[in-house]
Amino acid sequence: MKLGIARIVLLCAVSAAYAQTSARFERIAKEADAARVTERFSDAIHLYQRALHLRPSWREGWWNLASVYYEQDRFPDAKEAFTRYAALAAGKGPAEAFLGLCEYELRNYDSALAHFRSWASGGWAGTPDLLDVAVFHFALLLTRDGQFVRALYLLAPVAAKTGKDPALVEAMGLASLRMRNLPEDYPPDKREMVWLAGTAAVYLAQQPHDFARAQEFAARLASRFENERGVHYFRGTLFAFENKSAQAEREFREELRVAGADVPSLIALAKIDLERHEIAEADTFARKAVALEPQNAEAHHALGRVLMVNGQIDASALELENAKRLAPESPLVRSHLAMVYRRMGRTAEAKAEARAFLVLKQKEEVLAPARDKLKVTAGRSR
Amino acid sequence: MKAASVLLIAVIAVAGVISQAEQRVGETSFDEMSKAAERAFNEARDDDVIRLAGLALAKKPEWEEGLWYLGASLYQKQQYAEARDVLRRFMTLRPDAGPGWALLGLSEFNVREYSRALQHLQRAMSSGMGERSELTQPVFYDVAILLTRFERYDDSMDMLVRMLSNSPLDDSLTVALGLAGLRLPLLPSEVAANRRQVIQLAGSAVAAVQTARSDDATAKLKQLTTTFPNEPGVHFLYGAYLMPSDPGSGVSEMRRELEVSPSHALARVRLADQFIAEQKYDEALDLAKQAIELDPDRASAHMLAGEALLAKGDSEHGIAELEKARDRDPSSSKTHWDLLRAYVACGQREKADREKQEIEKRAAESGSNHVQE
Repeated sequence: MKLGIARIVLLCAVSAAYAQTSARFERIAKEADAARVTERFSDAIHLYQRALHLRPSWREGWWNLASVYYEQDRFPDAKEAFTRYAALAAGKGPAEAFLGLCEYELRNYDSALAHFRSWASGGWAGTPDLLDVAVFHFALLLTRDGQFVRALYLLAPVAAKTGKDPALVEAMGLASLRMRNLPEDYPPDKREMVWLAGTAAVYLAQQPHDFARAQEFAARLASRFENERGVHYFRGTLFAFENKSAQAEREFREELRVAGADVPSLIALAKIDLERHEIAEADTFARKAVALEPQNAEAHHALGRVLMVNGQIDASALELENAKRLAPESPLVRSHLAMVYRRMGRTAEAKAEARAFLVLKQKEEVLAPARDKLKVTAGRSR
Repeated sequence: MKAASVLLIAVIAVAGVISQAEQRVGETSFDEMSKAAERAFNEARDDDVIRLAGLALAKKPEWEEGLWYLGASLYQKQQYAEARDVLRRFMTLRPDAGPGWALLGLSEFNVREYSRALQHLQRAMSSGMGERSELTQPVFYDVAILLTRFERYDDSMDMLVRMLSNSPLDDSLTVALGLAGLRLPLLPSEVAANRRQVIQLAGSAVAAVQTARSDDATAKLKQLTTTFPNEPGVHFLYGAYLMPSDPGSGVSEMRRELEVSPSHALARVRLADQFIAEQKYDEALDLAKQAIELDPDRASAHMLAGEALLAKGDSEHGIAELEKARDRDPSSSKTHWDLLRAYVACGQREKADREKQEIEKRAAESGSNHVQE
């Protein structure tokens, strides 16, 4: 009996305390939101901290606190709050992009890249503003990681949308010159080179392409930095983009003069030779590229194509299979592999590769212009 | 400058701001530590400040003075990334502290976060940093060179020319003037050794032009164009200088610039301006249109296109271009005057009245009737 009464009294006391805490939480949370909206950030931070102390499971509170910290450039605190939010959320959504951005600012670049990759594979969630910023930083990190084509693939649609923005110019310059650097850490005396290359790349990325201005800046680049690595290869790719193969070839050969054995230039020259049916030289270039970089899928792909044209079907299949192993998501490798298998009479495998080619072609991450991809996901937010 | 003198001045300037702040010291140990940190700070014992303020801040993370002591001492020790992080916390608490923005911007500058550095240094300027030139000058200079890096050459040049009237022409100012003059988006520290000569020569030529040393200006610009005839920007500089006194030679230099840099929008604008003065309206219009195609947001190109169209009798399109110019640069008095005259000529009284009011308002604001492009 005594115990029963004690339990009831205790229950009442707990309920009253809970109601009191809950009311207090609601009041503080409301004040925190008001402070945030009126840009009293110091107050907002303090109030969110108090509210979250009372109710640590308040997801929206973590998000808002993280956002305030992020707005104030307080990235260590923002990272912590976004992490707390993400731990409570069913899907990380845009928090993953914010975590990538925070890690970038904290110079934890590998972790930042991992967050961006996870964010991208989860559907690029976020508002258009977040997409612009996150895609930009994702691309910077891809450049640092040596994935220059993928970086440019992400940056080009942003450039088409925003025009000649100085930060974009710098990012595209680094990727175009294949410099594994970030804007914060490349040698300062390379600044003019990066700017000229980036400006050319941004003009090329415009819709319609502004070839005249792209070439004007590329010519300035080549004349001022004729003995720098990456310059002639970049100019060669511009010419190739314009289908000016003679000029492209000249620049790729110049790159070989400057850089010695430059694998992307060797591959590019092999492709030009293939188009001209100059198979012997294509074979030399492709073999050299493979020898220099046995883990380069493009090199194996080029050699596979050369061997196919040369009628060395078995050897071609081997090279293309190597390329497939190294770059399983390259649709063109699968397409060429389908052709080779067909010629070998391996019909089922040919059909399988042809199907893979079609699937990969449709897969936006691999082939579709990033702009279209961004359009699809823009507007999705948390 | 650097760390030491900037820091000293920033500290003096912020001290007043902080002394007004209420500090509620709750625990004795915090009290002791904070006082020890303050003593160390006043005695410039940076290592002690960093240790003591760090300990005190662990107990009271929002101790404003402590954040300032710590941030400033880290800056002094050239630990710019750490200083930046601490100063960001400080600025959340004291967004009104101009010297705080200055030190934060300078820290960001040193870790090559240039976009934020520019933003925060400009905020320092607008918030106010006191009258101490030892602090304001480096901030002013860094803003100017950052504006060049962000391709805002005209804004940068305005600031550098103001510096020129107050400071001796040293190497850092010469190079900054050269970069803005040649429209190269580099910081002085980013100029490669083999590029210094052309940039310094351009800078000293710009300085001579701006300080009205005409013989020196002519000699240096001639030297610039003959020594570096294929350098983008040099013929534009010389052409712009020659245009008022010798338009024929000015036009020749501008045309030479277009051979060197075919996409130079500003050279086209200057040529269009000159051709309007010579009543060659077809040529002017053609060049203005080209400039618009190259740089659709350039207000002066729209203005000149509008002037040329009006002169050719095409009021409708002329007014449309002038309105575009006004929308892109509402501060241009010349555009407002052009529009006023065009509206009056077309009988658009209401719009003309609005332009007149705008002109009067601007004249009152600037305290004069000065009309500037």
